[in-house]
Amino acid sequence: MSNGALPLAGIRVLDFGHIVAGPFCVRLLADLGADVVKVETATRQGRTGARRGGQRAGANGRTPHLYHINRNRRSIDLNLKSERGRDIARRLVAVADVLVENFSNGVMERLGLGFRELAAINPRLVYASMASFGQTGPRRGWTGMNVTLQACSGLMLATGAEGDPPIGISNSWNDYVGGLHAAVAILGALGERRRTGKGRHLDVSQFEGSVAMLGSLLLASAVSHKPPPRIGSRSDSAAPQGCYRCAGEDQWCAISVQSDEQWRALVALLSERGAPLRAPRYASLAGRVEDHDAIDRILEAWTGELAPAEVERRLARIGVAAAAMRRGNEFEAVEEWRRVLCPLPSSGGAITKVVGLPFVFRGVSPVAAIEAPRIGATGKDALRDWLKLDEQSAAALLQAEPA
Amino acid sequence: MARILDLTSEVGAYGTRLLVELGHEVVRVEPPQGDAVRQLAPHLGAGPSLELGAFHQFLNAGKRSVALDLATDQGGTLLLTLVANADALVASLPLPVAEADILAANPALVLVLLEDGPPEICALARSGLLAITGEPDGRPTMLGGHVPYSAVGTYLALAATAALFAKEATGASQTAEVSAPQCLAALAEQVWVEYSASGELLERMGSRGGITAVAGALPCVDGHWMVSVPPDARAWENFVALVPDPAFRDATLADEAMRRERKQEILDRIAAWSAQRKKAEIVEEAQRLHIPAAVVTNPLELVEDPQLLARGFLKSVDHPDFGAINFPMGVFAGMWGKALGFAPRLGQDSAAILRELGYSAQEIGQLADEGIVKTCAP
Repeated sequence: MSNGALPLAGIRVLDFGHIVAGPFCVRLLADLGADVVKVETATRQGRTGARRGGQRAGANGRTPHLYHINRNRRSIDLNLKSERGRDIARRLVAVADVLVENFSNGVMERLGLGFRELAAINPRLVYASMASFGQTGPRRGWTGMNVTLQACSGLMLATGAEGDPPIGISNSWNDYVGGLHAAVAILGALGERRRTGKGRHLDVSQFEGSVAMLGSLLLASAVSHKPPPRIGSRSDSAAPQGCYRCAGEDQWCAISVQSDEQWRALVALLSERGAPLRAPRYASLAGRVEDHDAIDRILEAWTGELAPAEVERRLARIGVAAAAMRRGNEFEAVEEWRRVLCPLPSSGGAITKVVGLPFVFRGVSPVAAIEAPRIGATGKDALRDWLKLDEQSAAALLQAEPA
Repeated sequence: MARILDLTSEVGAYGTRLLVELGHEVVRVEPPQGDAVRQLAPHLGAGPSLELGAFHQFLNAGKRSVALDLATDQGGTLLLTLVANADALVASLPLPVAEADILAANPALVLVLLEDGPPEICALARSGLLAITGEPDGRPTMLGGHVPYSAVGTYLALAATAALFAKEATGASQTAEVSAPQCLAALAEQVWVEYSASGELLERMGSRGGITAVAGALPCVDGHWMVSVPPDARAWENFVALVPDPAFRDATLADEAMRRERKQEILDRIAAWSAQRKKAEIVEEAQRLHIPAAVVTNPLELVEDPQLLARGFLKSVDHPDFGAINFPMGVFAGMWGKALGFAPRLGQDSAAILRELGYSAQEIGQLADEGIVKTCAP
C-alpha cells in the first residue's frame, strides 16, 4: 500500500534509558522510524532495564514488560564505569541525533556523559533527561517511582468518589505519561534543530507530565481555593453514568446516558422495573444528576441479571452508549485492540503480538516489530553501522571492553 | 514555527495545547456558540459561562480563537481560505468540509485527524484501563479530571509533531490518522503483555501498584503518604531505618519474595507507625534515605508547590478574570521559556485573522452581520 518513509527515518537515537519511562519514550521514537542503539550493562541489569531484583526473566533475559518495551533497537553492552566503555559511548554520541536518559539527577554527569560534555562532542545532539522531578528545583534530588508520582501529581485524589482512599491506576501509567511528553519535546527540538542547526538539553520532569494532565483541575483549585470534588465515574454532562455490576464474578459494564432522548429509550427498555424512573424530575439532566444514587440502584438491579456483553448489546440497540469492562483475555474481541496490535515475528517467547502506535501516517507502512535483543547481542552491528567499522574492528573494540 | 488550525474536540485539545507550548501558532476554529471545551465543568464564575470554564482556560491558553458558522457555505469557504494560509490542520472527525476540498486548498498541508471514539467511560472500559483502576473489592472507577483525554492529547501531539517534521524534510503533504480508543488501549499495554506472557490478568489494586511488594498509600495524621520500596536488599535496609519496627529486623525480609508473602502484615505495621505522624515530615525523612516516597496530594495542594514554582511550570500571573493566581504554564513552558497567553474570548481573533487574510473591514462587518463570523473585542 505504501512506499513513504516514516517521519524519523534516518534519525539515530542513543538509549540510556532504564526501567520503563526512558525505554518507552525511545520505543515511540523507534515506532516513528528512528534507528536506535540501547546502551546497557549486563552486570547491572536493574540499571538498564532487563529486569529488577525479585522479578522473573522471560524471553532474552528480560521480564515480559521490559521485553515488550525494549523492542526495535540494538543493544550494546558497555561498562560505563570504565574509560573504554565511556569512550565507545562518546563515539556513538558523536554520530547520534538524540540521546534519552532517565537516571536520577546527576548520574550521567558523574559518568562524564552530562549534556555539557556531550554537546561539546556533538552540538547538534538533542539530549533528553527524564528525572522524576527534573534537573532543577528543590526536589531535583528526590527519587520517584510510578506509584509515588501518581500520588503526588494529584491523580490519586482526582480519581475515585468522596470518601474513597487514594486510587491509582495499577500499571506503569506515570512512566508512559513521562515518556510521551519527552517524545513530543524531542520532536519539537528536532524541528527546531532543522531551523537553527543546534541541539538542546530537554529537562523533562515526569512529575510535571502527570500534573499537566490535570492542569484544568489545578487551575480550578487556584481560583476556587477548594480541592476538586471527587466524582468517581460520574459526569456533569451525562447522567446516569457509571460502572455497573453485572451477572458473574466481578463483571462490570460502563454506561453513559448522553441525552434526554437516550434516557427515555433506557426507561422504556426497563419497562415495569423502570416505572419509578418515569418521574418527571428525571426528564432533565439536572434532575438525574441530583438523584443519581436512586437511579443507579434501579439500573444496577437490571444489569446485575445480565452478562456485561448482553447489557452492551441491548443498550447499543436503543442508542445508549455502553461498553463491557474488558480484561487482557478479551482484548482481541475489541476492535481498537485488534487495530493497535502488530505481529512480532520470530519471537522466542509467548508474546507474538505487540502494541504499536495508536496512529498511522497515510501511505506509510508501520515499522515491523523486532523483538528486544539479549543485552549486548547486537552491539557489534551497532558499531559497524554507526561508526562505519568493518566486522573485525567492531569485534575488536567490543572485546577490548572489559565486562 | 507552524501556523496550525485546531478543530479538535475536548478529546484532543490537550494535544494542540502542547503544540502552543512548543511555540507554534495555534488558531482554534470554533462554532459561533463556542467549542466543546468551553462547555466542560467546572466553571469558575457565578454559573456556566463560555469564557470561565477551567478546561477552556487551561486547554485553550495561548491559542487564538476564530468563530465561524461552518454549517454555511460561506463559513466553509472561509475555512478553506484559512487552510490555504496554514501549515497544518488538527481536527476531530468528521471534518466540517470535504477532505478533498481541504487538500485542494492547500496541497502541502499537514493533516492530523482524530477519531474521538465513544464516551470517555466506555472507551476506558474497552481499553482495559477501567479494570485496573479502583479498590480491589470496590467498583472500578474512571481516571478523574478527564486525564484520559489528556493522554489522547499527548499521542495526538506526537503524531502532529512527527508529521510536521516529515513535512519539513520532504515538503510533501502528510496525513496522520489518530484513534482515541487505540490511544487508551495502547496505554493498557502492560495488561496485554502480562496476559500474553503468562495468562495472568492484572487487576485493580487501589493505590498499591503492581511492581514492588511494599507499596501503597498509607494513612497519616493529615492525609496519606505513598511509599514504594524498591525490590533490592539495600532499599529495604534504608526503609527499616525510616520505620524501625522491631519485626522488620527479621533478616529474611531482605528478600523481596518474602516481603511479597508478608505484604499485608508489613503494610499494616507501616500504617500503624505513620498514623501518628505528618505526611510531609515522613516524606522528607524518607527522601533523605533515598526511599521513593511522596505526599498524596490533591490539585489544591499543588497550587503553591515550590517545585512547580521554581521550574516555571506554575507562574504567578495577573489573570484578567481571576486576578493574581499561580497559573499552570505546562510541561514545556520551562524548556522553551515561552510566555503562554490566556485563553481567548470566543471569536476574539476573528477580525484580526480575516484582516491578515486580506478581508476589508467592510467585508468582515458584513460577515459578522450575516452571522457567518462571530467577532468579539479581546
